[in-house]
Amino acid sequence: MRLQLTSMMDMFTILLVFLLKTFSTYGQLINPSQDLTLPTSRIQNPPEVGLDVTVSREWILVNGKPVERTSELQNPEGYILTGLQTALNQYAREGRRLEEQYGTRFSGKVTIQGDKNLPYRMLIKVLATCGQTDFPNMRLVVYQEEG
Amino acid sequence: MALFQSRRSRHGFELDQPNMTPMMNLMVVLIPLLLTSAEFVRLGVIELNLPPAAAGPEGKELAGLPVETFQKLDLSVTITDQGFFISSALAVLRDHAGGPTLSLQNGRYPFAELSETLYEVKQKAEGQYPDTEQIVLLAEPEVDYQTIVSTMDASRMFRKNGELIILFPEVSLSAGIL
Repeated sequence: MRLQLTSMMDMFTILLVFLLKTFSTYGQLINPSQDLTLPTSRIQNPPEVGLDVTVSREWILVNGKPVERTSELQNPEGYILTGLQTALNQYAREGRRLEEQYGTRFSGKVTIQGDKNLPYRMLIKVLATCGQTDFPNMRLVVYQEEG
Repeated sequence: MALFQSRRSRHGFELDQPNMTPMMNLMVVLIPLLLTSAEFVRLGVIELNLPPAAAGPEGKELAGLPVETFQKLDLSVTITDQGFFISSALAVLRDHAGGPTLSLQNGRYPFAELSETLYEVKQKAEGQYPDTEQIVLLAEPEVDYQTIVSTMDASRMFRKNGELIILFPEVSLSAGIL
């Protein structure tokens, strides 16, 4: 007595085709942070690699390392966040050094992840700080809306 | 001559199931592999443009021509808690009561109307000003990120009768607060 596998094969074939269709060759260039919901947008641009700045509930992280308390954004004075600025300057220096020594181009790209409920006055501080340091090419990370 | 039935007909006619086991092995490996690498939410990025003032000296190609020909549109959209204000270098569009250009509708921002209005502006301004690709967004401090992103979407392009219309693709943010 042999197992009847034909119907199971049918199912698997359909699943396989579906998964191959959704397969993306880009892979995960950006890992969305766990404790925030990115805004949705109709933009079609695929993600790009860049220095990752995340504004989560507790901390502002650069490449996953916390550099400044998010509560610092509540401070009404000034547009520049010193902790973030120091970290970004460090990455910029490193990038420039690599450019000099090995010829890998320093693009000054930074991808910014923020919660969709982040108020503008806090967002603009992060953007201003990135702009003031050597990262003028800012990208906002969003979820792509279907349709 | 002895008559006997062909020996061939007795063999090989029962339907043999093909051996599926190796195929099953393949599927069992491939499907988890693809499942783990599948992206169920697609991410995108919005490119931010620096405000025109910071985008470098506007010297060369403008030099030697009279200033009047470079009157800029300087279109901007200001997001407030009452709605959108659309303004250019020359004027602020207001409704009859002096309120915002487009007021909130049942507490929601009228993104579709914003696109329509900007489309009108674009049609009027096209060819008359050098900066009909740029738009600057301003927002009140408490406006949330999602609203800003949606406003960017609405001012970048929109779909009218199934046709994609490009409005002002170079969106920049301004820190200035109304």
